[in-house]
Amino acid sequence: MSTDAPRRYRTVPGLAELGDGRISYAERSMPLLAALASRFAAERPFDGMIIAACLHVTAETAVLVRALRAGGARVRLAASNPLSTQDDIAAALASGDGVEVFARAGVDRDTYYEHIALALGADRPGGIGDAEGPDLVLDDGGDLVSTLHTRARPEVLDRVRGGCEGTTTGVLRLRRMAADGTLAFPVIAASDTPVTRLVDNRHGTAQSVIDGLLRASGILLAGKTVVVAGFGACGVGIAESARALGARVVITEVDPVRALDAVLRGFLVLPLADAAPIGEVFITATGSTDVITGQHLAVMRDGAILANAGHFDVEIDVRALAALAVGVQSDVRPHADAYELADGRRLLLLAEGRVVNLVAANGHPPEVMDLAFGIEALTLARLARTSQRLPAAVHPVPSDIDAEAAQMVLAALGTRTDSLTPAQRAYLASWRLGS
Amino acid sequence: MSAEPYKVADIHLADFGRKEIQLAEHEMPGLMATRAEYAESQPLRGARITGSLHMTIQTAVLIETLVALGAQVRWASCNIFSTQDHAAAAIAVGPDGTPDDPKGIPVFAWKGETLDEYWWCTVQALTWPNGEAPNMILDDGGDATLFVHKGAEYEAAGAVPSPSETDSEEWVVILDKLRDSLADAPGKWTKAVETIKGVTEETTTGVHRLYEMHKAGSLKFPAINVNDSVTKSKFDNKYGCRHSLIDGINRGTDVLIGGKVALVLGYGDVGKGCAESLRGQGARVIVTEIDPICALQAAMDGYQVSTLDDVVGQVDIFVTTTGNKDIILAADMAKMKHQAIVGNIGHFDNEIDMAGLAATPGIKRVNVKPQVDEWRFPDGHTIIVLSEGRLLNLGNATGHPSFVMSNSFTNQVMAQIEIFTKPEAYPVGVYTLPKHLDEKVARLHLDALGVKLTVLSKDQADYIGVPVEGPYKPDHYRY
Repeated sequence: MSTDAPRRYRTVPGLAELGDGRISYAERSMPLLAALASRFAAERPFDGMIIAACLHVTAETAVLVRALRAGGARVRLAASNPLSTQDDIAAALASGDGVEVFARAGVDRDTYYEHIALALGADRPGGIGDAEGPDLVLDDGGDLVSTLHTRARPEVLDRVRGGCEGTTTGVLRLRRMAADGTLAFPVIAASDTPVTRLVDNRHGTAQSVIDGLLRASGILLAGKTVVVAGFGACGVGIAESARALGARVVITEVDPVRALDAVLRGFLVLPLADAAPIGEVFITATGSTDVITGQHLAVMRDGAILANAGHFDVEIDVRALAALAVGVQSDVRPHADAYELADGRRLLLLAEGRVVNLVAANGHPPEVMDLAFGIEALTLARLARTSQRLPAAVHPVPSDIDAEAAQMVLAALGTRTDSLTPAQRAYLASWRLGS
Repeated sequence: MSAEPYKVADIHLADFGRKEIQLAEHEMPGLMATRAEYAESQPLRGARITGSLHMTIQTAVLIETLVALGAQVRWASCNIFSTQDHAAAAIAVGPDGTPDDPKGIPVFAWKGETLDEYWWCTVQALTWPNGEAPNMILDDGGDATLFVHKGAEYEAAGAVPSPSETDSEEWVVILDKLRDSLADAPGKWTKAVETIKGVTEETTTGVHRLYEMHKAGSLKFPAINVNDSVTKSKFDNKYGCRHSLIDGINRGTDVLIGGKVALVLGYGDVGKGCAESLRGQGARVIVTEIDPICALQAAMDGYQVSTLDDVVGQVDIFVTTTGNKDIILAADMAKMKHQAIVGNIGHFDNEIDMAGLAATPGIKRVNVKPQVDEWRFPDGHTIIVLSEGRLLNLGNATGHPSFVMSNSFTNQVMAQIEIFTKPEAYPVGVYTLPKHLDEKVARLHLDALGVKLTVLSKDQADYIGVPVEGPYKPDHYRY
């Protein structure tokens, strides 16, 4: 393994300054992390600890990293996607903040995993798991946790006090690791809190996926037939946003409860095989694999646009698309590749089938990431402070953390809420009072 | 001819009606502001207004506004199902009368009139004491205007023609009424068209008739098209129907609208409001259109645009909004899903072919409750028809909410004042209200909603070339 790859990276003059400016801009929209940075600076919950993080390297991530460092942590950061790194942000963190950053936009698969290994300490004399192994891990998609489990010695895993996972995809992986007994330390599933489901998936993904779709394709959505595969929290938000922009939205689902929800919201629900010939835009948001396959691609309309909002690039079968194609025009627009089929049809694949909101746009807006990252920061602080390690399993975010984060955001927005009176509390706690 | 002072379903409903009128007055700030503004000048003094417009609580506030401005009024409803009997009773009794000593205005309207009764009521509203003729008409759908024009035409011809086989049931009734009238009071309608200074017309259907008549050279007095005031057509047609369509479907059927497939036939202002509210309730809405501009608008708003033929078998709720006829035919209804709901929110009952439905061999009609009928086809499938194909928002619910009607009716009052006080400005023809009056109607409703209007500076007004106090938009501006 090459251990000097990051050392080869040289930042372009001015790049770090550009990134620093964008981080400052994001900070203004991230009041929760700002409040936490002040609190952490006073309480120093991470003093002397190493946090290994695998996150999309964006301005918002940088604000999180700064809050963790304010709490005393050393942070080693790798990207959680080969395409999503914003190089100016990486440069700013590396040169200005002194964070150990292992990330660059547009790397290949091997380099991507090499970066993760480096964040785990692979460049130390003892390799992953020398004396400087992570105390806490912060993951986004599960690649860092899975690399740690496959490559580190058992005592290194024992040292990890716990981790935090930010995406649904990662949580699904962790649950499978826990189910087969592999998971060696506790992980909190931060993607799964009621507040993040609402704000991050529903609102953040919705806005930024549409943003990515529009930037990459340049189309007018009004009047288009948009097929959204998956009606989970992300799919709901994407579908509602697309509809608000005038699209006619078709939903595909495997879960009858979600499908019923879609129908009752007035969406047309079809099997993907039936939706494939009528859709003009396809957005996958399932967290699953092989959603749009060759059989669907074979019957799509000329000019159909394909985009994936799920974490991994497995929802659209890009290989099948390549196999069907007789020619590919790369980057007909930035992040849009036109695949020409034998019969003359052209299908437009956005962001190479990778997560479109991060590749073709800037990911979630900072307000959304503020809440998601604030919950993760609060969770890591709780893990850091808990004297007895939790069992090695996937745990939910404690509900008081969820509520505290929401309350802090509301305070920052200047929104005031009511509180239950003692009499109301007593009423809700009692079964004796009826009509 | 009868000389009854009024005819309503039950005069003892007046107290209930008066309470609802008082509630509605609060929701009709435009009309109440108009009463205050013209209390002294009495611009409608001397006006004898015959009104043919749904006799609802909101119309009661309109009628009493006309009276407050000095007018004498006689009234009939313009639909056999749309009268609210307590509203009619309250108008007959008046604010100062009692059921035993009514002091209101002559109103001839009740819910569930036969066609014969309906036209009898219209004739009563047009028939003034002492042989006088009305000098103003306030019309909704054009029935009163049609009647006096046809009366004058047949008086000039010397006879009422005999109905032909293909004439509608309603036309046969109209001819009967005119034949009676020509026998009883010859020259009555000729005098009426000479006396009437003008008509103010409420709705698309009536406006369409007026333009046709004017084009054919048969229009005898000027008309103001109130329907196309922005504060009428957008508010009444779009926002009003958006509210009352759902209300009518809910009251009539109590079906969950979420998840249903709804077909909105026509995407004008009414169709736009209907589609929006059906979608808001979670229905999947499909639109049909004949006009490429409206069809494109529907597509841009995210609706599937298709034809009735293509989707008739998958739709749960059908709503006609076209103002045209023969939109849903019996053959279409035969192909509908079991228990599909069929309703019309267009003005007339000719959008859904009820006669054709009734004539379907082997079909059976089962009345579920007032204004809700289940029609069973020989193959066993049934459809639910609301309000016998007449406008369901009035038949199954209570029509537009008061606030919306306050916009429409304040336009009506402005139009009545315009024609009555400035007849010289309106030679025979069809007019829309001047823009400054349209803006005035809107302005009269802002305070009640807590709206704060920004005021142009003189410099800004000069920059875009409008007066500071308006009108702000050219006549061709589409809001």
